[in-house]
Amino acid sequence: MLKANGFSTKVIHAPFAKDDVNRALHQPIYSNSAFDFESAEQMELAFQGRLPVHAYSRISNPTVENLELKIKLITGALNVTALSSGMAAISNVILLLASSGTNIIASKHLFGNTFVFFESTIREFGIETRFCDLTNNDDVQANIDSKTVAIFVETITNPQLEVVDLDDLSKLAHKNNVPLIADSTLTPPNVFDAKKFGVDIEVISSTKAFSGGATSIGGIIVDYGTFDWSKSPKLAPLAKRFGPFAFNYKLRREIFRNLGACLSPFAAYLQSLGLETLELRFEKAANNCRQMAIFLESLPQVKSVNYPGTIGSKFYEISERQFGNFPGAMLTFDFATRDECFAFINKLELIKRATNVYDNKSLIIHPASTIYCDFDKEKRESLHVSDLTIRLSLGIEDIEDLKNDILQALKE
Amino acid sequence: MSKIQVNGIEQEAETPIVLIDLIRLNKVEQPEMVSVQVNGEFVIREDFSTKQIVEGDEVDFLYFIGGGSRC
Repeated sequence: MLKANGFSTKVIHAPFAKDDVNRALHQPIYSNSAFDFESAEQMELAFQGRLPVHAYSRISNPTVENLELKIKLITGALNVTALSSGMAAISNVILLLASSGTNIIASKHLFGNTFVFFESTIREFGIETRFCDLTNNDDVQANIDSKTVAIFVETITNPQLEVVDLDDLSKLAHKNNVPLIADSTLTPPNVFDAKKFGVDIEVISSTKAFSGGATSIGGIIVDYGTFDWSKSPKLAPLAKRFGPFAFNYKLRREIFRNLGACLSPFAAYLQSLGLETLELRFEKAANNCRQMAIFLESLPQVKSVNYPGTIGSKFYEISERQFGNFPGAMLTFDFATRDECFAFINKLELIKRATNVYDNKSLIIHPASTIYCDFDKEKRESLHVSDLTIRLSLGIEDIEDLKNDILQALKE
Repeated sequence: MSKIQVNGIEQEAETPIVLIDLIRLNKVEQPEMVSVQVNGEFVIREDFSTKQIVEGDEVDFLYFIGGGSRC
C-alpha cells in the first residue's frame, strides 16, 4: 500500500493488526471477555507473551488494539496503551514510576482532579509531589533530588492556560535523569509533536478531542521509548532485560492489568471513529477559539481574556512554536463580579452549561464554583482559579451563531 | 546442524543464521510486531537483518500483549 504521510490519511487508513475475515472497513466491536485457544500449548505461549493473540479483554482486545495502533501510527510512539479514562492514564503512569519515599515534580496549575490526585491521593501512599513553577528552570532544579522519579506537566494548563517551554523543561529533566510526562489533552497530536519536544511519556484524555464529540470516556498512555529506564529506580532491573520496552513491560504485564482500568471495546470503537475526523474538528474548533478570543476582547463587559493564541498573551511565542496555529480550543475570560459570571452563563441559549472540553458543542463552566468547589477561596487563589473567571471550550458550530449567543446573553 | 533455544525449546539450525532468517524459518506470527531477545538482550528492529545467531544462543520471540504495545 502507498505510504501515508498526512495525519488524517494515516488515521483513516491505519491497517488492522490482523485482516478482518469479512473485509470490514472499520474494526468490528469485539464485545467479548475471553478468547479461545487451539491447545494448552498455545495458551501457555500466549500467556508468556510469545504469541500475538488476545486472551482476556481486561488485558487486551482487538477493538481496543485497533485504537492503540492508530495512535501509534500518528504519534510515532514505541508503545500505546488505551485505558478507561484520562485519570486512569495518569494514575497508571505515576503508580508505575513512583513508590513510597520518592517524589514527583509538578506545577500546581493542574486540572482539578489531577491536582487532588497528586496532593492527596498519592501522598497517602508516601509519594510526595513538589509543586513548583515549571516556567522557572531554577525553581524546578532546586526541587529535584535523588528521589525524584518524574516531572509532570500539562501542555496547556487547565484552567490557567499556562504554557511551559517543553524543550527547556525536557532538557532539564533529562540532565537530571528524570523522565518528562506531559498531559497533552488540550493539544492533540495533529498540532503537537510530543516526541519532538522531548516528552518521554504522554498522557491524553481521549474523552476530549479524540472521541469525536464527547461520545465516551477514555485515556491514552503514549510511550515514546526515548527515556533510558536504567536511570529509573523502579525500572532499572527491567531495563537490563527490555531496554526501551521496560516501561511498557511493567505497564502491560503488571500495573495496567492489575489496576483493571481497561477501555471498553465500544468506547474504543467510538474513539477510533473520532480519530478519523480529529484534524477536521480540531482545526475548526481552534479557529473558532481564536475568533472568539478577539471578539470577547472587543466587548466592554468582559474585563480580560486569556488565550495563548492571542498576540498579547505572554505565552504566544512558546505556543506558536509548540502548537503552530492551533494552541488549543479553550479560553477563559473574566467579568467584574461572580454574579455577572453566573447571570451571563444562565442566559446562554446555544452554548451548553457543562463540564468537559472539546465536545462538538461549545461548553461553558465557572471553574471556581464547580471543578474547584471542594477548595476554599484561599486555596483556589493559590491555584490561580479566580471567582471571576469563566472557561469556554469552543465547539465546531458556526462562529457567528456563537457570537450571537454571547451578545444576547450580555443584554440587560 | 547445531543447537539453539527458541522460546525455551531446543531447536536445530544451521548456524550462524541471521535473525531475520530465523524469524522466517520459525514462521513467526506477525513478524512486524514481534520483539526479540537473544540471550536476554533486546535486539532493536534495525539489527534484525544483521544479528547473527550462533550455536547455544537462546532466542525469545515476544509480544507485548495489546495493540500498539508491540514493537
